[in-house]
Amino acid sequence: MAISDISHRKRFLAEGNVYLPHIAVIEKIIEETPGVINLHFNFKDEKLREEFTFESGQFGEYSVFGIGEATFCISSSPTRLDHLEVAVQKVGKVTNALHRLSVGAEIGFRGPFGNSFPLDFLKGKNLVFVAGGIGLAPLRSLIWNVIDNRDEYENIGIIYGARSPGDLCFKYDLDAWEQDKTVKMTTTIDREAEGWTGKVGFVPRVLEQAAPSARNAVAIVCGPPVMIRFTFPVLEKLGFTPEQMITTLEKRMKCGIGKCGRCNIGDIYVCRDGPVFSYAQIKDFFSSEY
Amino acid sequence: MKKVKKQDISKLLSQWQKEFTVFVPSRETGVVEMVVWDGQDTGFLDWYRNTVIPPKANILPNMEKMFGFSKEDGRYNLELPDSEEQKHLIFGIRPCDARALSITDMVFQDAYEDTYYLNRRKNTLLVGMGCVNPYDSCFCTSLGLGPMEAADVDLMLTDTGDEFLIEEVTDQGKELIAKTEGLEEATRDDEARASEVRDAAYQRVTRKIDTKEIAKRLPPSFENEKFWEKIAAKCISCGICTFLCPTCYCFDINDEVVGGDGARFRNWDSCSFPLYTQMPMENPREEKWRRVRQKVCHKYLFYPRLFDTIACTGCGRCIRLCPVNWDITQTLASLPAEATAGTESRNGD
Repeated sequence: MAISDISHRKRFLAEGNVYLPHIAVIEKIIEETPGVINLHFNFKDEKLREEFTFESGQFGEYSVFGIGEATFCISSSPTRLDHLEVAVQKVGKVTNALHRLSVGAEIGFRGPFGNSFPLDFLKGKNLVFVAGGIGLAPLRSLIWNVIDNRDEYENIGIIYGARSPGDLCFKYDLDAWEQDKTVKMTTTIDREAEGWTGKVGFVPRVLEQAAPSARNAVAIVCGPPVMIRFTFPVLEKLGFTPEQMITTLEKRMKCGIGKCGRCNIGDIYVCRDGPVFSYAQIKDFFSSEY
Repeated sequence: MKKVKKQDISKLLSQWQKEFTVFVPSRETGVVEMVVWDGQDTGFLDWYRNTVIPPKANILPNMEKMFGFSKEDGRYNLELPDSEEQKHLIFGIRPCDARALSITDMVFQDAYEDTYYLNRRKNTLLVGMGCVNPYDSCFCTSLGLGPMEAADVDLMLTDTGDEFLIEEVTDQGKELIAKTEGLEEATRDDEARASEVRDAAYQRVTRKIDTKEIAKRLPPSFENEKFWEKIAAKCISCGICTFLCPTCYCFDINDEVVGGDGARFRNWDSCSFPLYTQMPMENPREEKWRRVRQKVCHKYLFYPRLFDTIACTGCGRCIRLCPVNWDITQTLASLPAEATAGTESRNGD
């Protein structure tokens, strides 16, 4: 895949009627696991295709017209803009509808919304990516972003786990990172499985064994809440400060722009102030409802 | 200052009706709300105290079409509703409800502009009417305004008995008065009488809350699960206090389809409902006490942190109209004093 030159593109801000979606066309559907697909899509409007940019970590509101809208991060990297990608797990009304679509179908997209991973803070650091299941989706946007600007970062380690080999998403990426000599890739599954020769164990355990140094390092953690809850203490034990731990939060959203009200944690609105937060921020949140 | 006889209100509204769609208080539907004036009836002047459905519904309707979509050969065409050119005038909005609009403006202007709300808001002139007869559930005077507060309207009417005194508050209000015929100049005596009416109305609002004390007591009470469980015990999560609250603005977005074509709508939603925050695997506000806490704290703690103002105007609807007599002023008065608050353990999530 060609790396896009986006240096001439301005930061893209949704404007005008921000509730009116852009029409996008599905170009490719990859079945990642039995319940997860990765959709490749592109805007119908040529001008928008030329102008659109986003930052790793940002999300969009995706429409299946007649069914509704749902919120997903953009799972591709802004360094590779010939199309956009979104990973969708089949869990509800809209996600089921997205799973029923075929190549050529039209969807709606609003965004990009939310903040993003702090690239300037990450530059010059050792990066430890920790992901579980479909939590790799937001992280892979950042991982490819970092790999495409490899000189700007120090060591890269990736620890990714899923319940079983069949639940691993983005296997083609895992292979690519495995082969990349500048990346230390560790893949693990929760329990022994036939034919699996890789690591076995929960992500926090594997992280503890790998014991990456906290020196000049930042850990970026995405996955199910239970994984995140057990990963932070391990990182703390390894010497990471709360400022050195970054994650994304997930809440039910509708508008995506801080108005409809439901994604708040105290006075924080995850759609407007997040979804990317440092553990230091989360610890200081007024409410523990995260 | 100008004045108008009550018997001439009909003439006044008729003039305005030429330029505006005029909304007045009505009980036609069974609940008092602001509806389009029929061109004749001014009987509301005799019975109107405040609406049940706040005039926020005229700016943020409880259901509104955001856009329509049609499908042809698998291709979608989106169509925005026609933008409304006709200007609106709300006659008789109470100061609390006008202040509420100033408060919700902050959310709809913040970061991304909400064109639906803001277009309607810019297109609507507010003619306020001071309250001479507040309810005993009203507590506006504790929230930096009063039953005659004029700061959030274009024109303010003060009831002096047989007449209304008209205060021109904004330039838009002045312009309208300049071209309105049949108004008389108010005399010094009229103004003196209006001032007496104002003072008397202010005295009639006897329910009080102590916002300074609340600001002190609410943060340390936040994690006091036992307190919130007690407060929420009788709540039936019906959502009425939020739907009828003039500062509540939460909404849901949904699609409706008939045949192949459809539309996207937004409608009022409420933090009283568990579905509001329900996610596939978890719900941060599954328990009722968390939702009641969210409602109280959004108004008295989070909103002040975000926008430097309490998101409550003391209109009293949530007290008057609650089916189980839940009372926010009692909740706020029963917040534990700082010394005892926060002793409960932080909940485990």
